[in-house]
Amino acid sequence: QPSWDKKWPFWTMSNLQREVQCLPRGLCRTAWGLGGTCVNVGCIPKKLMHQAALLGVAMDDAGKFGWSIPGPVSHDWSTLAQAVQNYVKSLNWGHRVQLQNRKVKYFNTRGSLLDRHTVRGLDAKGTEMTLTARNIVIATGGRPRYPTHVPGAREFGITSDDLFWLKESPGKTCVSRLLIWLPGSVLLVFRHVVVHLCSSDLFRSSQSWLVVGASYVGLECAGLLAGIGLDASVMVRSVALRGFDQQMARLVTGHMEACGTRFHWGCVPTSIEKLPSGLLQVKWTEVRSDLERVEREDTFSSVLWAIGEREVGRERWGEEVAVDKMGRVPETTGLNLPQVGVQLHPDTGKIVVATDERTTVSNVYAIGDVAEGRPELTPTAVKAGKLLARRLAGQSNQLMDYHSVPTTVFTPLEYGCVGLSEESAESRYGKDNIEVYHAFYKPLEFTIAERDASHCYVKVVCDRAGVQRVLGLHFTGPSAGEVIQGFAVSVRCGLTYAQLRDTVGIHPTCAEELTKIHITKRSGLDATVTGC
Amino acid sequence: MAKYEEIQVHGYEEFCKAVSERRGKDIFAYFSGDKDDQGKSWCPDCVKAEPVVRGQLAHLPAGSVFLYCLVGARPYWKDPNNEFKKTLKLTGVPTLLRYGTPQKLVEEECFKADLVRMMFTED
Repeated sequence: QPSWDKKWPFWTMSNLQREVQCLPRGLCRTAWGLGGTCVNVGCIPKKLMHQAALLGVAMDDAGKFGWSIPGPVSHDWSTLAQAVQNYVKSLNWGHRVQLQNRKVKYFNTRGSLLDRHTVRGLDAKGTEMTLTARNIVIATGGRPRYPTHVPGAREFGITSDDLFWLKESPGKTCVSRLLIWLPGSVLLVFRHVVVHLCSSDLFRSSQSWLVVGASYVGLECAGLLAGIGLDASVMVRSVALRGFDQQMARLVTGHMEACGTRFHWGCVPTSIEKLPSGLLQVKWTEVRSDLERVEREDTFSSVLWAIGEREVGRERWGEEVAVDKMGRVPETTGLNLPQVGVQLHPDTGKIVVATDERTTVSNVYAIGDVAEGRPELTPTAVKAGKLLARRLAGQSNQLMDYHSVPTTVFTPLEYGCVGLSEESAESRYGKDNIEVYHAFYKPLEFTIAERDASHCYVKVVCDRAGVQRVLGLHFTGPSAGEVIQGFAVSVRCGLTYAQLRDTVGIHPTCAEELTKIHITKRSGLDATVTGC
Repeated sequence: MAKYEEIQVHGYEEFCKAVSERRGKDIFAYFSGDKDDQGKSWCPDCVKAEPVVRGQLAHLPAGSVFLYCLVGARPYWKDPNNEFKKTLKLTGVPTLLRYGTPQKLVEEECFKADLVRMMFTED
C-alpha cells in the first residue's frame, strides 16, 4: 500500500489540528487529477514506461538464458498507455480519498491571491468564491516550455505532458492506417507496395521521433521511445544533462548512441512544417564553430520538446541575441503574485524564497518546482512541505536540508548520483585537493547476455586531505536509483573513503563496485575491473 | 422522476449482463454479501454500510446507474478464485465503485458518508 502522506504536506497540517484548504492549479491540455507533475506527467508514468523499455531489453537477453520466445516480439503502445494511465488515475483517486480522510477541504477551482490573506477561486462554471487564511503555501510547480521563437513549435510539437497521455501508438504511420480500410483483394497488391516502402527512407522517417533537448526529461523520453522499438533522435544545443557531472553525462549518451539513438550535437531547430503526408519537416542549424553553420533538415513523425537550462541575453554565434527563456516554466501567471508583493526571480520567473520557504510576503510560502533555487525533484518538494507544516504548527524548527540530495536519471543505462560532480568539486576545492577514484565494471547479468558494458562506471570524488571525505558518488548501471539510495544516507553521515573501502560488498552485485574502488584518476592506471 | 436508474442483480453473470446493457453510462456498483430471508446480510460490514450508501443516492449524477449487486453466499465469497475477485479485482465487501474508473471505496471506507458523497458528486 503506497503511503499517500509522501505527496501532500497538507495531511500533516490536518494531523496537527489546523484547518487546511487545498486549491489545485488550473489545468492544461489534458485534465489532471491530484498529485501534481510527478504523478500525472512525470516520475510515475516515466518510470513505468522506462520499465516497459527495460522489459524489451530483457526479452532480447532471454534467449541466451535459455528461454525460447516464439516469433518476433513487438510492443503495443495502447496497452502500455492504458495501464499507465489507469494507475495514475488510481493515484489521483487515492490522494482525493486521503485529503478527505484527513479533513482537508478540497476546492477544484483556479486560485489567485487577492491579498496576503485572501484567495479568490474560480471554478469551471465561472463561480467565484473567496477564502481567507492565516498562511498560504504555493506549490503550483512548472510546465514544459515551447520554443515560441521556432515557427511551428507549438502547433506541431508535443511535450512530456502529452507523451504519457497519448492513447495511440506514437509510431503509427500514415501507411499503416491506410491498410485498415482497404478491402482484401486490394490489400494483396498493396502489400507489395508497402514492402517496398518499408525499406525506403519515407517509411523509416515516418516512424521516427525527434526529441529536442538533452535534459534528463529529453534523454529519458528518447530512451523509452527507442526502448519500445521506435526510431528516436535527440537534438542537443550544447551539452547533455547540464548541471550533472559531464563525464557521467557522456557515458549516458554514449550508451544511447551505441544502442542506435541518433544524436545531433550542436544543433538548434529553426522551424517545423507539416507536410501533406502528415510528416513533420524539421529544419535546423548545426553550429560547428563560431563561423561555420550548416543548415539541415529531415522529416519525422513526431517532435517532442524537452528543452533544458536557459540562456538569458547571451551572445550567440557572434551576435547579440534576445534568447527566449528555456527550461520548465514556473506556474505563476494568474496567481497575482507581484501585485500582493511576492517577488519573482527576474531571470527564471520562479518565486524567490528564503531557507524556510518563506516568500517576500511573510505569511506566504512556496515549495517545489515553482520556488527559485530548489531542485526540480519530487522528494525535496514533499519533504520541504512536511517540514514547513510542522514549523507552521509550531511543532518544530527544522529547516529543509537541500544538500546532498541523491537523484537518478532513468535513461536506458541509468545514472544515479549523490553529492558533487567532479567539476563542481574541482572548482570548489581545487583539482589538487580532490582525489577521484573510479572503475569501469561489467554487471554480471550482461555477461552471457553479451551486452555492451563499456559505459558502466563508478566514480567517487573525495576530499584529498585527511580522512578523505566523500564529496560525490556517481554510478551508471542497472537499477542505479536502488544502488545510490543507501549510499546517500552514508554521504549525509560524512562518509569517508576509508569507511567505503572498509565496507564489505554484497556479491555479486553492481553496487559492490563502490566498496572496491581503489584506482585514482591521478594515477593514470587502467580503471577496468577484472576478475570476479 | 428519478435522476438515476437503480438495478439489482445477483451473482457475477447477472452483473456482467447489466453492465453490458448499459454501455456508455456512468455506473456506480455496490457489492454486498447475500441476504437471508429476513433481509440481513452474512457480511456485517455490508449491513452497516448499506444505509450510509443509500443515504447518499440523492447525490448521484443525473442519468447515472446505481447497480446493486449481491455477490453470493459466504463460502463463495471466501473462495479466492471467485469471479468478482479474479476478474473485477474486488478485495472485500462491501465495495462501492465507479465502473471503468479506478474510483472505489472498500469496506470501512463505505461507512463514511462524506466519501460516498464525494464519489457521487466529483469527477
